[in-house]
Amino acid sequence: MTTIVHARSDRRITTTQRSYPLLNVLIWELRRFRASRLFWFQALGVFCFLLFLTWALHASEGYDTMSNNVQISAFVAGTSAGGLLRTLPTVLVVLVLFLPFVTADGVRRDLSRRTHELLMTTALPTWAYVWGRYLAGLLMSLGLALLLLASILGMGGLLHLTVADYPLPQTGAVLLLWVGMVFPATILVSSFGFALSTLLPRLSTLVKVVILVAWIVGALVIPRGLGNTTPPAWYVNWDPTSGITALGLLPSYSLHLGPWITSEAQLQQLILTIENKMPDLAGWFAPHLLLAGLSLVLVLVAAFAFKRSRDVLN
Amino acid sequence: MELTIERLSKRYGQQWALHQLSLRLSPGLLGLVGPNGAGKTSLMRMIATLLSPTEGTIYWNGQDIHTHGQAFRQVLGYLPQDFGVYPEFTGRQFLRYLAAMKGLPSSLIHRRVDEVLSIVNLEQEADRKLPTYSGGMKQRIGIAQALLGDPELLIVDEPTAGLDPAERVRFRTLLASLTHNRIILLSTHIIGDVEAVANRLVILREGHVLSDTTPEALLARTAGSVWSVTVDQATAMQLQANYQVSTMVNQMSGITLRIVSATRPHEAAVEVSPSLEEAYLLATSRQAVQV
Repeated sequence: MTTIVHARSDRRITTTQRSYPLLNVLIWELRRFRASRLFWFQALGVFCFLLFLTWALHASEGYDTMSNNVQISAFVAGTSAGGLLRTLPTVLVVLVLFLPFVTADGVRRDLSRRTHELLMTTALPTWAYVWGRYLAGLLMSLGLALLLLASILGMGGLLHLTVADYPLPQTGAVLLLWVGMVFPATILVSSFGFALSTLLPRLSTLVKVVILVAWIVGALVIPRGLGNTTPPAWYVNWDPTSGITALGLLPSYSLHLGPWITSEAQLQQLILTIENKMPDLAGWFAPHLLLAGLSLVLVLVAAFAFKRSRDVLN
Repeated sequence: MELTIERLSKRYGQQWALHQLSLRLSPGLLGLVGPNGAGKTSLMRMIATLLSPTEGTIYWNGQDIHTHGQAFRQVLGYLPQDFGVYPEFTGRQFLRYLAAMKGLPSSLIHRRVDEVLSIVNLEQEADRKLPTYSGGMKQRIGIAQALLGDPELLIVDEPTAGLDPAERVRFRTLLASLTHNRIILLSTHIIGDVEAVANRLVILREGHVLSDTTPEALLARTAGSVWSVTVDQATAMQLQANYQVSTMVNQMSGITLRIVSATRPHEAAVEVSPSLEEAYLLATSRQAVQV
């Protein structure tokens, strides 16, 4: 028979010494993910896939011209500034496909897993619970976004070493485009997914589907639908998917090929001078960051609207 | 310490799950029993601040728990009827996680987790991943997490459902050891659990308190109302159709029935000592007749 040790301790444990509840939630949530082997496998899988994608898109656009009846060809490097403007919206779609699954269920999964009641009967403040879960999801999403940055710089470096005439990625330009396009998109999608799933836990799957479909339409379908039409400036500046933003920035990376080009090396050199130009930040950079900041308001609404007590049993 | 429930009601649509229920709880173990749908879980969840009452108020030491929720939850330990765990964690990690969520000072978390693991006798299995735990071990982790904050009010909802007999006995003994200077509210439909540990018994039926008594008093009220008789199969069937039969055992000499009835059900029936389960059956059937 099991020996029962009596539970009474001589003095009551006080739980009022809570100093950083938000930090507690955040740290323990990250520890929980760290303890999951599946999480690390998934992160590794995403990184490998992003490396593959960067490699597959390494010659983002080709230029052909004729000189003395000989065809001359050269390519725009996928990891150059000009190349990234062509490929980043597509790669961003791939990243966005993962993000809602990382962040959206931060609170909702406790309901489906039935850990919700254990947590809601603790003295943990509601705001700390919701924001802690959100920030943990956001940090992991930003971790994935950093993997994207690493895959661009890493694969770019590898291609530079192995492919003739492939330029080394310009870290400044890559970072700038990452901060202006990937970083705000990560925050935006994470905030929308988390806030809507927290507000509408029963519709969590629908929330993810709507976000993904909306993003694919915004990043891929609409830019292709526009064809050669010039998009309005406000759309270029405020497009969260960066699909239209890239379209608006690309004309400054266009080449005018003339008869003076007589060799592939000359053409490649010409492309090199253009493709690594720093992108023009005017107009779109601040609105993208502003959109990310505004999406935090939605998380704030979700935190305010979150109820510990329910009106029905389940 | 005192938990006071005043005219508490809960309505789902047009259906009252609880209606104008009032109770006053002081230290000790209160067993809450009743048939399915009696309102036990609704009551437990309202006390645990998980469910909003339609009407009425719950006070902890004179303070409304819904307006002083944060302070109330610091003295609350709750083991739900059905709860989930984080499969990534070991038992020890899970308890440390919940201890941190309960706001235990980090200097105390390791010590307190070791203490509750010892209380529920899970020290040996504490470093195993939670999905490898049996149902009984999971229940013990459940009670361990409820005890982390050394709660003054411990609510346990159907804790022995799904446990094997040895685990049930172990769990009851554990609960009995926790009653000193603490209010324990045990909801169950297994009367044997209450009989073994409760010093007060509340029977709920259709959202009302049918009886608020002690196990001894309920047994005393049932004296003279439980009968044993051995009869042939046809008579047994007839008695079963007309009376509340608590047990029915096939023997060489015939079928032995224990019958709960205010009057002698058969000329050969002899009066026997009631069990608490039979006392409960009589209490609920009386009410049914009144209804």
